[in-house]
Amino acid sequence: MSSRATQIGPSLARWFTEPVPLGRIAAFRTICYIFVALDLLFFTPWVVEHADVPGELYQPLFIGRILPLPTPNAWLVHTIYWALLVLTALAATGRAPRLLGWAVFVLYFEWMIIAMSYGKVDHDHFAFLLALALLPTLGRARHGDPTLSESAGWVIRMTQIAVIATYFLAAWAKFRFGGIEWLWEATLTRAVLRRGTVFSNWTTEVPGLLVAVQFGIIAFELLSPAVFFVRKRIQYGIIAFFYSFHAVTYASLTIAFWPHLVAMLCFLPLERIRPVQWVRARFPQLAGKSRSQSATADALSDS
Amino acid sequence: MRGEPQIQRLSPTGRALRLAVAFVVIGLLLAGTFFGDDDHFPFGPFRMYSTSNELNAPVRDTRIRAINAEGEEFPLGVGSTGLRRAEFEGQVHRFEENPELLSYVAEAYHRRHPDAPPLVQISIVVVWHEVRDGLATGNRTEEVIVTWHAEEDIP
Repeated sequence: MSSRATQIGPSLARWFTEPVPLGRIAAFRTICYIFVALDLLFFTPWVVEHADVPGELYQPLFIGRILPLPTPNAWLVHTIYWALLVLTALAATGRAPRLLGWAVFVLYFEWMIIAMSYGKVDHDHFAFLLALALLPTLGRARHGDPTLSESAGWVIRMTQIAVIATYFLAAWAKFRFGGIEWLWEATLTRAVLRRGTVFSNWTTEVPGLLVAVQFGIIAFELLSPAVFFVRKRIQYGIIAFFYSFHAVTYASLTIAFWPHLVAMLCFLPLERIRPVQWVRARFPQLAGKSRSQSATADALSDS
Repeated sequence: MRGEPQIQRLSPTGRALRLAVAFVVIGLLLAGTFFGDDDHFPFGPFRMYSTSNELNAPVRDTRIRAINAEGEEFPLGVGSTGLRRAEFEGQVHRFEENPELLSYVAEAYHRRHPDAPPLVQISIVVVWHEVRDGLATGNRTEEVIVTWHAEEDIP
């Protein structure tokens, strides 16, 4: 038994820290930090509107009650808003990844607490928040860098686990709060009645259709961990299916789990994204000056 | 010409530390899923659309309505107060117990619309959609959950 335990231990540790190219971290970092700014500006513009809501309507979450967090007011909300816009623009360049990364994580986490302390908690941020929390554990990473890193692999693996947990544990939550009858009751009918679109309004009038969709949702949520046990090619297929599920949800209910969708990108070979190289290829006149300095770096990453 | 990329390995301590963090995070997430609630963000259960609705139970649709000093009635959307519909739903029991709390909603509205006529009344109204065999019948009834009236002497 002890010999089996000593075998499982190292192989589990290897799985949790399976190396990935540093280039994937560089691209993922840029995407995540750009997304934080887009989230503030476009995806959840209602958060900054809490600035005008009197403190009497602030209902701090558990974390807001144990940490000495201030009751949000206009000054606090606008300060965090502008600080995040500036810091994410800097962090997206990949410079000072630890310092800027921690600053963005702390401010964005507080931003989320402000978002969710007025009576409604959203459930689409877990994997993204975890990625923001873990990215600062890594140092500098260059776009396209093929060097494999175990510490980078751990950050990617943890984010992947969080993405899949969001599906798998959502099935458990449905059984816990809705009961097994969630499968054949009218949750989706209710959702379409409240938020339906031209793409989905007809579905409430087709007998049995939305119940069949409910069975399908539970099935795919429970099966989602399979993504860790299949070959790369099938894995990409499963991830494409997840994205298409969210596209249909958006068309039907105008609900999109944007931060979750961003976090899920960590399954893809993001190391192929090389914005600096693309800019140089398209605008050679810009590259002229810095070519000699970067030649070594390119030679390294393209070898 | 493509050589094998270098591999940056973790030290045994670094690996053990990361494994420990992984187990703590997964443990908190499982605890939140089994025993926690939304209050335990970010480790609460992923309970989006997790409640069941009986096929023939009416579907609840919450609306926030306001009347201003000029007698105009209009809905209060997120742009008008800074609170989303779901946030009104989340705090509806507080508003029911203490309708005066809606005065803070009016305050938020006035901060965002300093030149608009003041609000004299806010109501939280539930529109019940009738459902039969999981299909909407088109019939609906309205129920006023809570109403707040401004003090008489508004400037």
